[in-house]
Amino acid sequence: MAVRAHRPAAATPAAGSTGDLFAPPAKPAAPASPPRELPRREPARRQLWLALRFPELALRALARRRSAPAPLVIVAGEGAQRRVVTGNAAAAAAGIRAGLALAAAHVLAAELEVVTYDPLAEQRELEALARWALSFTSFVSLEPPTQLLLEVQGSLALFGGAAALIARIETELSAAGQVLAFALAPTARAASWFSVAAPGTVIDSAAALAGPLGRLPLAATGWSERTLEDATRLGLSTLAELKRLPRDGLARRFEPCVLRELDEAYAARAAPRRRHVVPERFLERLELPAELSGSAELAPYCTLLLERMQGFLRARAAGVTRIAFLFRHRERKSSCVVLGRALPASGSGEWQALLRERLQSVVLPAPVLALGLRTSGAVALSGASAALPGLDRRETEAFALLDRLRARLGEAAVSGLSLVPEHRPEAAYRAVRPEPRPPTTATGEPAPLPPAPRPLWLLANPEPLGLRDGRPSYDGRLTLESGPERIESGWWNGTPVARDYYIALTRRGARLWIFRERGAGRWFVHGVFG
Amino acid sequence: MDVNLDALLQGAALWRARGSQRASIAVVPSGWPRLDASLPGGGWPLGTLVELLLPAAGVGELRLLLPALRTLLEPSVTDPGRRWLAWIAPPHLPYPPAFAQSGIRCEQLLLVASERPAERLWACEQALRSGSCAAVLTWLDSVDDRWLRRLKLAAEAGATLAVLVRPLARREETSAASLRIALEPTAAGLDLWLLKSRGRGPTRIRAALTV
Repeated sequence: MAVRAHRPAAATPAAGSTGDLFAPPAKPAAPASPPRELPRREPARRQLWLALRFPELALRALARRRSAPAPLVIVAGEGAQRRVVTGNAAAAAAGIRAGLALAAAHVLAAELEVVTYDPLAEQRELEALARWALSFTSFVSLEPPTQLLLEVQGSLALFGGAAALIARIETELSAAGQVLAFALAPTARAASWFSVAAPGTVIDSAAALAGPLGRLPLAATGWSERTLEDATRLGLSTLAELKRLPRDGLARRFEPCVLRELDEAYAARAAPRRRHVVPERFLERLELPAELSGSAELAPYCTLLLERMQGFLRARAAGVTRIAFLFRHRERKSSCVVLGRALPASGSGEWQALLRERLQSVVLPAPVLALGLRTSGAVALSGASAALPGLDRRETEAFALLDRLRARLGEAAVSGLSLVPEHRPEAAYRAVRPEPRPPTTATGEPAPLPPAPRPLWLLANPEPLGLRDGRPSYDGRLTLESGPERIESGWWNGTPVARDYYIALTRRGARLWIFRERGAGRWFVHGVFG
Repeated sequence: MDVNLDALLQGAALWRARGSQRASIAVVPSGWPRLDASLPGGGWPLGTLVELLLPAAGVGELRLLLPALRTLLEPSVTDPGRRWLAWIAPPHLPYPPAFAQSGIRCEQLLLVASERPAERLWACEQALRSGSCAAVLTWLDSVDDRWLRRLKLAAEAGATLAVLVRPLARREETSAASLRIALEPTAAGLDLWLLKSRGRGPTRIRAALTV
């Protein structure tokens, strides 16, 4: 398996090297790191670290979009310096190994698909795995680019021992198609190195650590190429050989991380690690390469933001019901498009579909300079699916239909209806927000039904009827079939009603629900029996 | 062109006797025995377009459909039933107390309002395709025949009862609907003209609708 032996810090070549073999090399730019946090425990307490290394992480980050039976490599570097970082099985079968120049890889495989290494995509993938790993222990630390370090001493009892815990992790990962190399050791650094050079190593006591650790090759450490070359020139190949050198010589000859990490690995010094924590809301902005106006032009950038949001939410096993796109314009107030769903969702595809619908009906006031995507109120989703517990397929469809209709037509255009126990016919119902889950049990007493038949169609406003020979007429003479039903109510809330309702048959055979105002004596049609 | 009803029913029986494709049509009984007898399969066809042509809203179109809607919304032991009865741009409000009196729970009604014909068609297509609607009732005037074919495909995908209600004036236009019925209110109830139906020519049926 391709073993990657570089770390982000080593990816930028140290500037100003002198050629002096033993001169202390310029310290590689350390990534800006916030203060680290120790696992909160007694210093004397034993620790046990499980290192999970995902050698195909960069490939997995691509896997959602492509499943290539053809050779595929991920390369890093510029121009002629481009080298293979990793490749798929087909590439490996063609003899392509990590570190190979891209030109050489092309010779080995004619039909080679080349993808540029995307550290961000890999990082997102690693963060997603970290969120998953939090189900095994509360202390998960990222070791980019491809490792997670889990402090599992406290979890062993819960999971029935180290072997059972590891078996469970392996099962879940292989179900997800993720390739794993793991190692268990009393220090995080040692576990990390074992997972690189001797995957499968399980050492659960500090006393048993020194022997196997000493046998590890120096390449397992991921130190810079320069350091490894220096060590080779000194005839050093394993950690034990390195450790036998005097400490002051080590400190002088090598970059500072060498001595520090060596001590950490052998538990000779404390190794505080940063705990992986998850922020609560997603907010990202994107400057556009040019002012864009059409929804087709904006779509790819919106998709990009949605994909980042998806990574963010998936890493938290969370979903949102409302997101807002912000569009910044030149010399004009920003505009905002809010999308809502009845069910929380994390997937970019689900939101993309809604955005597509909305952009068909929304007109942006001006070309867009930059756009942003904001979410709030993330809620936990159960499992990987964007569904509420116990929601069957048909209910999910009912939710999805509502979402689509609302996204395109607006919230007000889609409504449900509910009965109101009220005598006035126009107040005996109300429009409600539709509820996709059918009510399981009737809430309280069902509203009492009116004593006389009601029309299936109700007119929004009662329509005045003409009079012919003192009798109401509508499209000709009306024949009263039944009535009157006297409805009097509502005087206490300001819209008094005193009406006599009748069912009337038109000349053409339609049945109308008409009433006469008591007092004024005017006739109105209020409904049609349909 | 009055047609002898007995002869018609006999014709339907004959057709049914030799109708081997009958089993392949999913239908819901209309609840009107004479109509059922005249419809291929013995009821409103599901998964295709049914077009009702009316002289005016309120001639009895809802009472005609009610028994079938009730059947479709009924949950069974094996099936919890579909969630919605969708109304796309109805001419008036479907009045909840009347539906409650007819045995349809008003929580099942889903109203979609839209002034723009293109959006009505789109909403109709979405509702039909979704599979979460027991029936989709849509009020339309002029429709491009290509759109009708599109709606028909959507109805097929969702296996939904798809009813288009259009003005009687559109009866001369060609339509992709599998079943076209013109409604004519009479003093006795409602006359149904089957303008287009699988396997038969224009037919007239009388349904006595009572309030």
